[in-house]
Amino acid sequence: MANPRLIGLLLVAPALFAVGALFVYPLGFSVATAFTTKEGVVTLGNFHRAFELYSVDIGFTLVIVGVSTLLCGALAIAIGGYLTLGENPRAVAILKWLYRWPLFIPFVVAAQCMRTFIAKNGLMNNSLVSLGILEPIQTTSLLDWRGIVITFVWKQTPFVALLVAGAMASLDRSTIEAARNLGAGRLRILVEIVTPQVLPTLVVALILSFVTMMSVLSVPIMISGESPTMMTVDMAFRINAYGDYGTANALGVLSYLMTGAVAWIYLRRGIQQGGRP
Amino acid sequence: MKPVFKLATAAALALALAPASASAQRVTLNVITAGDQNMVDYVKDYLGPIFQKSNPNVTISSVGTGPGDAGSQKIAEKIIAQKDRATWDVDVAVIHQKMAGDLVTAGLLAPYTKDVASGKLVTSDNSKMALGAKVEGYVIPMFNSQTAIAYNPALVKNPPKTYKELEAWAKANPKQFGYNGIKGGMSGVSFVVGWVYAHSKDPNKLANGPYDAAEKDAWNAALAELKDFNKVATITPGNAGTLDMLNRGEIAMGPVWVDMFYTWMADGKLPPTMKLSLIGPGMPGQPMYYVIPAKAANMEAAKKFIEVATSPAVQADGIVKRFNWYPGIDAQHVKSQLDDATWNKLFVDVTPQELASKGKSFPIKQYFDDILEAYEKKVVN
Amino acid sequence: MTALAWLPRAIILGLIAFAIFGPLANLALWAAAEQWYFPHKLPVTYGLKFWHQVFKPSSDALLSLGNSVVIALLTVVVSLALAVPAGYALARLSLPLRGLIMLAFLLPQAFPSVAVYINVARIFYGFGLNGTIAGVVLVHAVHGLVFAVWIASAAFAAVDRDLELAALNIGAGALRTFFTVTLPLAAPGIVASAIFVFLESLDEFTGTFFVGVPDVTTLPLLMFTASIAGNYQIAAITALILLIPSVGFMLFVERFLKADVLAKVGT
Repeated sequence: MANPRLIGLLLVAPALFAVGALFVYPLGFSVATAFTTKEGVVTLGNFHRAFELYSVDIGFTLVIVGVSTLLCGALAIAIGGYLTLGENPRAVAILKWLYRWPLFIPFVVAAQCMRTFIAKNGLMNNSLVSLGILEPIQTTSLLDWRGIVITFVWKQTPFVALLVAGAMASLDRSTIEAARNLGAGRLRILVEIVTPQVLPTLVVALILSFVTMMSVLSVPIMISGESPTMMTVDMAFRINAYGDYGTANALGVLSYLMTGAVAWIYLRRGIQQGGRP
Repeated sequence: MKPVFKLATAAALALALAPASASAQRVTLNVITAGDQNMVDYVKDYLGPIFQKSNPNVTISSVGTGPGDAGSQKIAEKIIAQKDRATWDVDVAVIHQKMAGDLVTAGLLAPYTKDVASGKLVTSDNSKMALGAKVEGYVIPMFNSQTAIAYNPALVKNPPKTYKELEAWAKANPKQFGYNGIKGGMSGVSFVVGWVYAHSKDPNKLANGPYDAAEKDAWNAALAELKDFNKVATITPGNAGTLDMLNRGEIAMGPVWVDMFYTWMADGKLPPTMKLSLIGPGMPGQPMYYVIPAKAANMEAAKKFIEVATSPAVQADGIVKRFNWYPGIDAQHVKSQLDDATWNKLFVDVTPQELASKGKSFPIKQYFDDILEAYEKKVVN
Repeated sequence: MTALAWLPRAIILGLIAFAIFGPLANLALWAAAEQWYFPHKLPVTYGLKFWHQVFKPSSDALLSLGNSVVIALLTVVVSLALAVPAGYALARLSLPLRGLIMLAFLLPQAFPSVAVYINVARIFYGFGLNGTIAGVVLVHAVHGLVFAVWIASAAFAAVDRDLELAALNIGAGALRTFFTVTLPLAAPGIVASAIFVFLESLDEFTGTFFVGVPDVTTLPLLMFTASIAGNYQIAAITALILLIPSVGFMLFVERFLKADVLAKVGT
């Protein structure tokens, strides 16, 4: 029998090669411009400018995406929990049918839907006013950082929920039944028994969501005005207004370092488990 | 022997030429447009059929890259990516001023206007210089556009006529004026540039040069005022965002591109009662340029296409009559093609005199970058 | 009694439905609105004017839709072809630096792509891949690979080893065991990852522009231009059209979707 490590590497090689040739290699050029001036001199000036002009936006991006990720996680657990522990099959079926729709809506369209939905005189406020729940004077626009978070959560929760619900459904139900027999409430079962067991899936789904939201341009640009805004908007602006790839790519490197730090959580967990499932 | 030889040569020649002539018969002209979908459709649905009548062997393929400088940037990147190849897959591009200057300077565009009949019909300044870069010979404007303040007459009884009046109005009606900052599109940029012009001693120097780095300091007071002004203004998400908020009555007033304004109205997305006001001392406008990349695969067809697109008849019927856009070539050539009623529709809200006196150009590139960066540093950060 | 018990449930489900379908209702309304402006809370006039505009004879909306679907399907095929062996190796064979390899697949999702595609295009022009379906498929496949690899790896990890050992014991070769036991058992999870890859490809437009245009155009390109410029009707109509392949693919694939495979994602 050949060395399994070698076979393993051979099997991974095509996929790794694809990523290397079609993404990492072109990415290298971009990363290089972040560390050089337009004349090709090595410098950290781009990072300096990125911090000088966009430090607020960098923090803002981290907070927005962080909050959105946590909300996605909480809602996904709630949805998955109800799908797993819900006692009314009809309600479970309705929820199962309901929650997935935003998965099919691209970000740019989600942004457009939200822009006309949660605005001051948008469809949401108009419906609430028509129903007599709100007075016209009470309506406010949510088209700022809240709008970005709402759009992200709306679009990304189904993705997390789909993975989490799947994981929950496959749990060994005997522990759940045992806890139930001991008189534990469903909320307690969800928090203390079910969620810890699906934590790996949840973390992975949240990392993928975090990464996705970090790189979306259309939502912040279409939902909120400028200040502060997300790093993707600043990147696009540096390139479109000044042709300044250096600073744009410096922001890109910072953005990647942020996602890298988050993914490190996953990596560390892998090491704790000896890198094996 | 001889005739046979001749025949053979002829046959060989025919064989050799056959694929070439066959491919010459079917040309796909790739037109890439930075701009709204209606510009892409204009090329595809209006210009395409007209052009094909006289050039049945050419098929027009029209693709859009989205509005604003971001759209132009994508076109430029596509060209730069294939810089070292023998021919490029972009035959005609429609781009903004800033990118036109950059591409000419980088030698990526072909000079073509002398080979095109309508080249002589354009004498405007913006067909020669784009933000301080010399583009003469490389560009013909598709249309000219102008920014102006759109307002809802139901909510604004006495529309402001100047930046000063606008400032006062916005303070009296907080959050009722909205603009999109500088990162969401050019209508907000235009408002900011107009603001700097209004507060500058010598706006002409900004628009025409020469560049003097010391000029920057003069804007500090103006930008500080703008920062205050922003507190009573609504910052909207993008060019479309301003129109969108006007559509729902969330703001009563805001800077818009005149061409977008009319498109939105035609699409039923603005109350038909909305009006425009070009405020003093002036707001910038800019043309969209037809350009041909230096190594366009179908250079000749591209020239013919632009010739048709910038002919007085097409400019009159397509640009003015259908879209209510200001023509790209000199006005007198277009006006003579139209009846007065159609022509005057262009000037319902903004008179030709106002356009002449208050329609400014954007500043030269160095000042432009300075203004944007100063805004980033002083107003929003 | 039962009606009363339903009340809180109905309220909560109603709120969820409002949150999910509210924005989508907006989409549907805009798709049918010819005029809609302040102070009207609903469209002033309805009509099919913009549907005619999208589907007019000179438009290539249907061709673009066809391209989009073909590209998305091919992307799924390429992604899975790369991800199945990789996922198996990552799940079953002890690999050095396994964590780092998993992270490498995350890169295309993690680095904002605004500035990367110009370099991709430059390389693809060199190979003559620009303007081909193949080029677009490759770009999309790499982008979606993280879903395919991570989920495939999970799917293989979830397969009971005893079943494989049993097959080996009765004399089946390693390859035969893989194709008759392991792969069929992991198939539901792999198919599940196909949904995300498919949707990812169907949403993509930046890479398509740089690598595909002008020869290959897809529907999301049109949707993006329309959406960002605020052509709500056109954008809404194209988004609704794109729902058809998305939901269709989901329903088709769901038949293969077994919940238990998703449990091991990422482990």
